[in-house]
Amino acid sequence: MRADETGRRRRRRPAAVLPYLLLSPALVLLGGMIYPFALGLYYSLTNYWLQYPDRFRVVWFENYFELLEEPLFLRALEFTLGFTVVAVVVQVGLGLAVALFLHGRIPGRGVIRALMLLPLMIPPVITALMWKIMMASTNAGILNHMLSFLGVEPINWFGSTQGAVVSVLIIDTWGNLPFVALILLGGLQALPSEPYEAARVDGAGAAAILRYVTLPLLTPFIVLVVTFRAMDSLRIFDVIYATTAGGPNDATTNLHIMAYQYAFQWYQMGRGMTQAVVLLLLVVTVSYLLLRLWNRAAERMAP
Amino acid sequence: MTPGAAAFRRHARNVAVLLGAAALLAWTVFPFFWILLTSLKSPADILSVPPKFVFAPTIENYAALVFGEQRGQYSSTRPDFPLFFLNSMIISVGAVALSITVGIPAAYALARFSFPLKNLLAFLFLSFRFVPFIVFVIPLYLIYQRVGLYNTHAGLIFAYQLISLPFTIWMLRSFFMEVPLEIQEAAKIDGCSWLGVLTRVILPLSMPGIAVTVILGFMFCWNAFNYPLMLAGRQTFPVTVGAIQFISYEQVLWGQMAAATTVAALPQLLLSLLVQKYIVRGLTMGAVR
Amino acid sequence: MQVQRRGLAGLLLAMGGIPHALAQGDEALAYYRQANVNWRQADGQSLTIALNKHPFTESLLPLIPQFRRLTGINVEYLILPEAEYFTRLVADLSQQRGEFSVVMTGPMRNWQYVPPNWILPLDGFLDNPALTDRSWFKLEDFYPPLIAANRWDGRTGGGVGEGPLYSIPVLEESYILAYRKDIFDQHDIKVPATIEEMAEAARQVKRHAGISGIVARGTPSVASMGTGFLSGLKSYTDGQWSELDSNLRANFHDPRSVRFTEIWIDMVRESGPPNWANLQWYDAMEAFTAGQAGMIADADFFAASYEDPSRSRVAGKVGYALIPPGPGGKTYSGLWTWALGINRATRNKEAAWLFLQWATAQHTLLNATVGYRNYNPSRASVTNDPRVQEAMGGWGGGTYLSTVAKNLETARVAWVPQPERTRAGDIWARSLHEIYFRRMSAADALKRASTELDRVLRQADIRR
Repeated sequence: MRADETGRRRRRRPAAVLPYLLLSPALVLLGGMIYPFALGLYYSLTNYWLQYPDRFRVVWFENYFELLEEPLFLRALEFTLGFTVVAVVVQVGLGLAVALFLHGRIPGRGVIRALMLLPLMIPPVITALMWKIMMASTNAGILNHMLSFLGVEPINWFGSTQGAVVSVLIIDTWGNLPFVALILLGGLQALPSEPYEAARVDGAGAAAILRYVTLPLLTPFIVLVVTFRAMDSLRIFDVIYATTAGGPNDATTNLHIMAYQYAFQWYQMGRGMTQAVVLLLLVVTVSYLLLRLWNRAAERMAP
Repeated sequence: MTPGAAAFRRHARNVAVLLGAAALLAWTVFPFFWILLTSLKSPADILSVPPKFVFAPTIENYAALVFGEQRGQYSSTRPDFPLFFLNSMIISVGAVALSITVGIPAAYALARFSFPLKNLLAFLFLSFRFVPFIVFVIPLYLIYQRVGLYNTHAGLIFAYQLISLPFTIWMLRSFFMEVPLEIQEAAKIDGCSWLGVLTRVILPLSMPGIAVTVILGFMFCWNAFNYPLMLAGRQTFPVTVGAIQFISYEQVLWGQMAAATTVAALPQLLLSLLVQKYIVRGLTMGAVR
Repeated sequence: MQVQRRGLAGLLLAMGGIPHALAQGDEALAYYRQANVNWRQADGQSLTIALNKHPFTESLLPLIPQFRRLTGINVEYLILPEAEYFTRLVADLSQQRGEFSVVMTGPMRNWQYVPPNWILPLDGFLDNPALTDRSWFKLEDFYPPLIAANRWDGRTGGGVGEGPLYSIPVLEESYILAYRKDIFDQHDIKVPATIEEMAEAARQVKRHAGISGIVARGTPSVASMGTGFLSGLKSYTDGQWSELDSNLRANFHDPRSVRFTEIWIDMVRESGPPNWANLQWYDAMEAFTAGQAGMIADADFFAASYEDPSRSRVAGKVGYALIPPGPGGKTYSGLWTWALGINRATRNKEAAWLFLQWATAQHTLLNATVGYRNYNPSRASVTNDPRVQEAMGGWGGGTYLSTVAKNLETARVAWVPQPERTRAGDIWARSLHEIYFRRMSAADALKRASTELDRVLRQADIRR
């Protein structure tokens, strides 16, 4: 606090420290994670390769430069970004639709809401394996079997490059739609009712209410779920690992999968960490941009 | 509009609503239904082509989880599953409890105070969730081995904060910010300190939000796979790592994996049913208009 | 719908009347006490063992209390499926903190663990009369090719079969062709004697029987390369080709390799299942077991699943043959053994060896095969046991055992010893995807794979 604010300062001093005090336990807890993180960063600057411990040395940014020359990196980057955009649009769009649907007076909505939590109760790894059973045709693929009743030709879910991408999207959406829908539903339920009454008094129709009342009020929540889903989609791992492992033909390899392969399959820790750090930078950038949006929206709501 | 047309519109709307609800239910529930069916099938039925909806059910898969003896033609797990289940409970409950305890004051600070570094700190908390697990898990593995936190519940609870704490703080912050300022001001005028405002106004009014945060946080922790894979040993494996043990060298025990998944989902199912009441109660409390 | 009930009688019947008692109780300990070894010399020590999820490990677990009664050693264990298992194992080995004392490994894996000195040679233990009773343990009972496979003198590019013994095999895995005898007989398809005939047979099966002519592993990983594909390629080239030439330069693009790859990929694309690119070992095995394919060239012991009437649709309908040979007329199948080894960093070396000796003793391995379907046995005495003969003898009307016996005459570890074998296999498998999805020709894709492997070998400083 500056000296010219002395008057206000004396009144505010107890309060000035308070927020930091309130935050301190959380800061301590996460502060303990700084050292492991720093160690991970350090490894990205080395040629750490598990089987060759004698040759360990710091190579500074060599890993990062070599990454740019790696052809798979550009493909992985492209897939990471592309998948994220599509996944966020699909999941937030559908989630909003579902939340609006459940917000109305639907019979049995309590039951539906409870059941919607089911996808979240299953670990993503298991979800992926179970969908794999349903989709993979040599494993008695129930999905193609049921689609055949609708006259649809069997779809090569995991064996074709396009099918694999779609499959990953479907499984990821199945697992995360409840999350989006529930947050937005919670947001809808927490909205104040005056604007709605005012709008009804003004004679606005449902579509107009949606567009001019609901969506603007819901914006902080929408940005929240977009941010969370974007962050998660950029880093999606479990679903891909358990179904396609990045294939076929690298069609579902994103930066996270690539980093995992380098670190855990080929034991090149240095390079794996490099790729993980690049992914982190990507996520941080995207999230920062989205969060500035959130802050602006939130500040409008709570002056 | 004629009464007939109005009635038709109403019926059409009801039908559309019912179809929508049915579609949503089917989409959500079917895979789980299929897992349940799979858990009741014998190995031959699981692999049958075309897939079977009607078959002779068996509880062998569930029995194998608990008794773990060799049964008939296919070897089963050893009875570690109850141990894994208990581990999941301890670790998830512990992690969420810790996150909530630490997260409520933090979220309150971020929601209702204005101070320098506020936005930066908020972003910092969130940023821990961004980090790909690889960056943390190998260093944590090395450090834990040296410090003796490897294969301990405490070590896992601490590592799980990476999963639950940022999420908890951000969710609570959003819900705290939704509590109308007027009520908060009114409480202050009534002589409440910041603690009073927190406990008497914000927390009660945010109960639905807190409930949702707790349950979602619990689910994220329960479903964590990559951290316990490296940081836990057999005595502390949660069910997620336990479940992949059904992939054996000469076969995959889909039935038992399905049974394990079903059983593992039960606590979350119960928890969500409990939380349903909170959501309803919170809405009818009256303060939220 | 009736709920099936299985009583104890049913259990016993299902196991062929072979009770667990084979391995339990003090009469079982009597077998081990015959050995002229002081089993209690490491009394009170503790071991942690890292195991791959496998019938062999399943068989060991109920016996661990028995081991403790015998030796006074406390055993803790960690079991994971293969991929996760290796991740955890290498993480621990690389730290050399000795968390895991006894580990499950194998020939190709040892090539990663031996150069950085992570595992111990076992000859010292075997030759130490205080620790081992060789006349009781009978190392010679193990099939010689399997013991040889686990020996390595540490030389990059060769030396398998010479040098220290690093692990003791607990099973044998070689690669043969399993085919639907009923379909072949019905449509007059002859058992293929060359790879071209195999492709033709696959075509015939698909045309006449309406199912995939052949099913094979296809995931872009080393695991898909070393079984049927590599065995076929080695046979095709009369065992003369290797993925690294004598100068340790990558050799995927050799014209013979290119030609074989073209035939193989065309075969799986034309006659294989549409999701070949995603088939793991169990997908391929289950497809054949479910009657959805006419042929599979993969692990011999998958026959245990094919011939299991409770799970298989093709039990009794399967014929077994060697993978088609090349111009020289001989098949050169690959070979794999799961084997137990000892972590150099373990604090309790003697205890670790006692466990290893116990776990690979004749009685233990017999129980693993008879009671827990650990196939194929690594000890001749286990294979020749009447119960095992009875179980395996019926497979393929007897052709299974004769085929495997013939196969083992020429089967050998098919890879070139070097620490980046896994990486080589992964690079290779990805190039096959490029070919399968027609993004590149076989020649180009394999040339690129060679270039990439050369680069990795250079980075790892692997050279003559």
